Amino acid sequence: MDTIAPFVLLSPLAGFLINAIFGRQLPRRVVGWIGAGSVGIAFIFSLNLLLQLLTGAQPLDQTYFTWWQSGDFSVPFNLYVDRLSTLMILVITGVGFLIHVYSIGYMREDPGYSRFFAYMNLFVLSMLLLVLAGNLVWLIIGWAGVGLSSYLLISFWFERTSAVLAGRKAFVMNTIGDVGMIFAAFLIFLNLRVMDYRGLFERVHQLPKGGAVITAICLLLLVGAVAKSAQLPLHTWLPDAMEGPTPVSALIHAATMVTAGVYLVARMHMLYDWAPAAAATVAVIGGVTAIFAATIGTSQIDIKRILAYSTMSQIGYMFLAVGLGAYAAGMFHFMTHAFFKALLFMAAGNVIHAFQDDQDIRHMGNLRAGLPITFWTFLIGTLSISGFPLLAGFFSKDEIIRAALNAAGGEFWLGVLALVTAGLTAYYMFRLFFIAFGWEWLAHDDRHLHEAPPVQTVPIIILATGAVVGGYIPIASFLSPVFGPAGEVGIGAFLSLAALSVLAALIGFSLAYLLHARRPDLAVAWRTRLGPIHTLVEHKYYIDELYDWVFVRPALAFARFLNGVIETRVIDGAVNGLANFTVVEAREFRLIQTGRLRSYALWTLGGAIGVVVIVAGFLGYLPWRLGG
Amino acid sequence: MPPAYLFLLLSGALFTMGAVGFLVRRNPLVVFMCIELMLNAVNLAFAAESRFLNSLDGVVFAFLVITVAAAEVVVGIAIIVQVYRAGRQMDVDGLDLMKE
Amino acid sequence: MVVAFAILAAWELVTAAGVVGFRRPIYNALSLVANMLGLAVLFLILNAQFLFAAQVIVYAGAVMVLFVFIIALLNPGSDLTLGRSGNEWIYGVVFGVIFAALLGGLLFNRGLTGRQGSSSPEAINAVGNVQAIGTALYTKFLFPVEVASVLLLIAAVGAVYLAMRRIR
Repeated sequence: MDTIAPFVLLSPLAGFLINAIFGRQLPRRVVGWIGAGSVGIAFIFSLNLLLQLLTGAQPLDQTYFTWWQSGDFSVPFNLYVDRLSTLMILVITGVGFLIHVYSIGYMREDPGYSRFFAYMNLFVLSMLLLVLAGNLVWLIIGWAGVGLSSYLLISFWFERTSAVLAGRKAFVMNTIGDVGMIFAAFLIFLNLRVMDYRGLFERVHQLPKGGAVITAICLLLLVGAVAKSAQLPLHTWLPDAMEGPTPVSALIHAATMVTAGVYLVARMHMLYDWAPAAAATVAVIGGVTAIFAATIGTSQIDIKRILAYSTMSQIGYMFLAVGLGAYAAGMFHFMTHAFFKALLFMAAGNVIHAFQDDQDIRHMGNLRAGLPITFWTFLIGTLSISGFPLLAGFFSKDEIIRAALNAAGGEFWLGVLALVTAGLTAYYMFRLFFIAFGWEWLAHDDRHLHEAPPVQTVPIIILATGAVVGGYIPIASFLSPVFGPAGEVGIGAFLSLAALSVLAALIGFSLAYLLHARRPDLAVAWRTRLGPIHTLVEHKYYIDELYDWVFVRPALAFARFLNGVIETRVIDGAVNGLANFTVVEAREFRLIQTGRLRSYALWTLGGAIGVVVIVAGFLGYLPWRLGG
Repeated sequence: MPPAYLFLLLSGALFTMGAVGFLVRRNPLVVFMCIELMLNAVNLAFAAESRFLNSLDGVVFAFLVITVAAAEVVVGIAIIVQVYRAGRQMDVDGLDLMKE
Repeated sequence: MVVAFAILAAWELVTAAGVVGFRRPIYNALSLVANMLGLAVLFLILNAQFLFAAQVIVYAGAVMVLFVFIIALLNPGSDLTLGRSGNEWIYGVVFGVIFAALLGGLLFNRGLTGRQGSSSPEAINAVGNVQAIGTALYTKFLFPVEVASVLLLIAAVGAVYLAMRRIR
C-alpha cells in the first residue's frame, strides 16, 4: 500500500505539470484528456487502496522522506491512508474525474483551455495532499494549495473585474482561516511537541479534557474550517465564487474544497471529543448556517447562487453532524452531497450554456423538450437533496437529524432547526426547479435549445445514479474502525423520523408548487406582503455590507495612510535622504581637489600633525593617555 | 657631547622651516629645495638616533635616503624643465590642471 | 664639543632661513649648499664619518650642482615678478608655528626611547666606519640596497625620457 499511495498524488501532479508547461502547444483534445485522465488514474489507484483496506490491510502511516528538520522539530513527508482518507480520495478523484470529463465539453470554446485543466489538476493534487497528509504541516500546505487553486479558478476569466474581485475576496477570507490553522498548529506543537497524526492522537489525552488549551486548539482549527467551508461568519466568499466557470463551482465549491472543513474536524475527532465546548460550537455554527443559508436561497434568482447557498446549507448539516460527534453521519452526507450537488451544478451548466451564459432563472423555464437529459437528471438531484424517500439524500440527512434530536441538552433544538431547514431545502430547490425548468411537460418549444453533447451528459447521468443508490452504501460501518461502531437504529425510531422529515419535505414541495407552478401571482403577493423581510433576505442579511463597513473600509483607509504617509515620507524620505546626503557631502569634499600644489601640501602636513599627536598620545607624551 | 634631544630639536626646527618654505614659496625650484631641506633634517635625526642608540641602522637608512633624494631630484628637475619649456609660468599656483 | 655644536646649530638655522627666505633662486641654492656642508660636520660629530663623506660628495657635490646648473640654465626670475601672492602664506606660517610648538614640547628634555644596539662608537671605530656600514649594507640591508639601485635606474630612464619629449 505504501507504494501505491504516492501515485495517487503523482498522477494529478504529472497532469498539472504537463498541461502547465506544454499545454499551449498540445492540441485541445490531448490537453483535456490528460487533465481528466490524470484524475482518472488517481481514482484507479484509490480503488486499489480501497480494495486493500477492505481485504484486511492495516491503515498506512508511511514516511517517505524527512522534509524539514530543525532541532527537535521534524516534519516528515508522510501519508496517512485509512478508511476516512480513502473515502475522501475516492470521492475527490471519482467525482473529480467526472467533472473533468464534463469540462472537456463545457470549456471547449474557451481560449484558456490548457490553463483551466492545469489549474484543475493543481487543485486535485492539493486536495489529495490535504487529505492524505499524515501530519499537520502538510495538511496546511495542502490547505493553502487548495486556497490558491480556488483563487486561480474563481478569477479564471480574469478580464472580468467581478471575477477578479471575487477571487480576491475568497483568498482573503481563506487566509483568515489559514492564520487560525497555523496558530492551532503552533499551540499543538508547543504543548505536545508533535506534528504528525499518530503522535498527536497518542498524546492528546495528556491535555486536560475540556481545558483551555485543547479548546483553543479546536476553536482555532474551527476558524480554518469555517473559512474554507464557507460557514458563518466567514461565508460571504462562496456566492461570489460562482464567478468561476461552472465545473469549478461543481468540483471545488460543492463537492470537495468546501468539505475540507468537515474532513478536518472528522480527522481531528479525537481532539474534538476531548473539547466538548469546541465541538458544541461546531454544531451550533453548522446548524445556524444551515437554516441561514436556506432562507437566503429562497430569494435568489441566479441559478448558481441558489446552488451555492444550498451548498452552504448542506455543509452546515455536515458541521452539525461532526459537532455532535456523529462523524460517520457527517461523512455519509458528504458523499451523497458530492453526488447530487456536482450533478446539480453540471446540469445547471448545461442550461447556462443553452441560454448563452445567462444565469437568471426568470429567463428560463420549460426545458423538458429542449434539454431532456438535463431536465430529468436535475429533477433526480433535486429530489435527492430534498430528502425524497429512498434516495441518497433521504438517508444521509436523516442520520444527521437523528443524531441531533438524540443529543442531550441544547443540541436538541439544533435538530429541530435541521428539520425546518429540510423543509426549506425542499422549498427553494423546487422553486428553482419549477421556475428554471418548468412544470408543464410541453412537447413543443420554439427557442431552439440544444441538449448538451454526451461528454457533458454522461457524467451527470452517472452522478444521478449515485444520487439515487448512494444511500445504500454502508458508510457508517465502513468507517467504524475510525470512529467506533455504528449505532443501532431501531426500526421504530427510523420510521418515525423518516415520517417527520418526509413531512417537512412535502410541505416545502407543496409550497413551492403552489407559489411557483400553479399560482405565481400569489408569490408576488406574498413578496410584497413580506416586503422588508424579503429585502433583508434577498440582500443576504446585509452581511456583506456590514463587513465592508467594519473591516474593509478601515483597512483600506489604513493602507492609504501607510502608502501616503509612511511610504512616501518616512521610508522614501529615509532612503532618498541618505542618497541626498551622500551627494551633498561629496560635493563638499570635491572642493579639496583644487589641483594646486600648496593646498595639497597643506592637507598633507596637517595630516602629519595629526599623526604626530596620535602617536604621542599612544606613547604617553600627552597629558591624556590614548590607547596603550 | 650634547644630549640627544638637542640634536632632535635641531632636526625638528630644520624640518619645520623646510615645511613652511614649501608652503610659502611659489617658485617650483625653491619649493624643491625646501623639500631637500626637510630630507636633510630627517637624516640628521637618523644619525643622532644611530649614535645614541649604538646602532648602525640609522646611518644606513640615512644613506638610502640620500640615494632616493638623488633619484627624486633628477626626475623632478626634468619635469620642471619641461614645464619651463612648455612656456608656462614658473609658479606652482598656476599648475592646477589636475583640479576637479 | 658643546661649543662646536652650538656654532653649527646656529649655522644651520641661519642657512635654512636663507633657503626659505631669499628672493633670488641662486641665493637659495647656495644657502642650501652651505646648509648641507654644516650638516656634514654634524655627522662627523655624531661619529658617522661615512655619512659625512656621502653627504659632501653626493648631496652637496652632485645634487646641488644639478640644482645650480638648472638655475643657471633656466634663469627663473625672482618671486617678485610673479603675480599677487594672496594670503595663503598665512596658512603656512600658522602651520609652522603649530608644528614647531608640538615638536618642541614633545622633544624637549626627553631621552631617546628605543632598544640599545651593540654598535657603540668604539666598536665601530675599531672595525672602521666604512667597513661597518658596508657589512651592514650587504647583509642586513641587502634588499633595500637592491631596490634603491632599481629606483636609480628608473629615475635615470625617466629623466632621459622626459628630457626627450617634444613639446607641442
